[in-house]
Amino acid sequence: MVVGAGGVAVGTEQRVTAAAHRPSRREAARGLLVSAAALALAPAVADSGPARPAGDFRGGAFDETYRGRRIRGSWVPDPAGPEAGGAWRIAVDGRPLHLMRRADGTWLSMLDHYTSYPTPLAATRAAVDQIGPRQRLRAPAPGPDGGEHTGGHTHMGGRHGVPA
Amino acid sequence: MAYLRKNVRTLTAGERRRFVDALLTVKRRGEYDEFVRLHIDYYTADGEDGLRAAHMAPSFLPWHRRFLLELERALRRVDSSVTVPYWDWTRDRTTASVPWTRDLLGGDGRRPDRQVMTGPFAYAAGHWTLREGVTDAAFLTRDLGGSDDHLELPTGGELRRALDDPVYDAWPWNSTVRHGFRNKLEGWGSGTGSASWHNHNRVHRWVGGAMLGGASVNDPVFWLHHAFVDLQWHRWQSAHRDGRYLPEGPPGAGDEQHGRVVARHDRLPPWDETPDQLEDVSRIYRYA
Repeated sequence: MVVGAGGVAVGTEQRVTAAAHRPSRREAARGLLVSAAALALAPAVADSGPARPAGDFRGGAFDETYRGRRIRGSWVPDPAGPEAGGAWRIAVDGRPLHLMRRADGTWLSMLDHYTSYPTPLAATRAAVDQIGPRQRLRAPAPGPDGGEHTGGHTHMGGRHGVPA
Repeated sequence: MAYLRKNVRTLTAGERRRFVDALLTVKRRGEYDEFVRLHIDYYTADGEDGLRAAHMAPSFLPWHRRFLLELERALRRVDSSVTVPYWDWTRDRTTASVPWTRDLLGGDGRRPDRQVMTGPFAYAAGHWTLREGVTDAAFLTRDLGGSDDHLELPTGGELRRALDDPVYDAWPWNSTVRHGFRNKLEGWGSGTGSASWHNHNRVHRWVGGAMLGGASVNDPVFWLHHAFVDLQWHRWQSAHRDGRYLPEGPPGAGDEQHGRVVARHDRLPPWDETPDQLEDVSRIYRYA
């Protein structure tokens, strides 16, 4: 079987919310939905949005140099509207960094997966701490149709049972 | 007949060599990078929607058990004498102890780029080029002990506190639950900083480098670490004879965790087994 992005049905009905339209983990990790234009426009969009409901995690857009690297981040609402959620778009030296949110409201990055931080900015700085000199985040790898690059199908989900 | 998983410190020189050689062969065939990708793909955090199979969830233990079995199967196709050894980080606690030796996993990363320079997984040895990663570094990285914050590995006492909890897991079945064996072992605490990292998570942080990120499988210590974590599930079952995987049934439609966790008899993606089927694997392997 093809092992693709998250959101795999497991026999129970998948929770359907507006947020389910967010990019899949693999798409997000690859940064496929991030464009320079979106990053450039996003702060204005976020700042001009409606008042934040309780528990919202918008706001706090940043653009700074940290340890010699330019880090930018902003909340990008879903095109379907403010009720549909959105996602943080983060770039380190122009390359996308995927953040994930914990249930307690804190944040993790792809570079620091086993610790969470109070804000997207703190998680991004912690990620930069993990990037060595002369290294960069890996560049996105778009597929031929601009969609998800799925060259990495795995073959571990076959119909076999518990291995004996 | 069940095979034996051994403490890595007890492996003979020949057993060490065969384990390393099997890993390098699986890597050369391109299979290893599939394991790295799979682990990346199945990391769904609990502040997001969607099913959490591998982390921040009750199925943390059966998912990684099944993942290890898959790697072990690949290794044994290369050399049927090989099994995945475990690293007891409550006892082998320094950067000079196993498994950080030249004949096993090699040592710490160098300053300042954290590149592993010794052992069979050093980039210069020519057998271990990273192809799936978060950064563009082609070499394996480590930062044993967290050179910046001098972290200690979890103690036997901390592990004991997880093992002593008689309940497998509890609602809301995620990283915020404060009781239950699973999260005490997986290690999500509250707050930030050193005090918030426990057991499994703390070891990922202690090794650092590749082990800290989404592509942690790039460091073969991932398997030795998770074999020891898997052994704890077995120990917990032995200590709490009535203890079973929870939740027994899927959370209902009104539950915020509905559709987001794998119940005892649900299929555990990407495989066809259920946690129930993975609770007892004594016919496949046991621990020495």
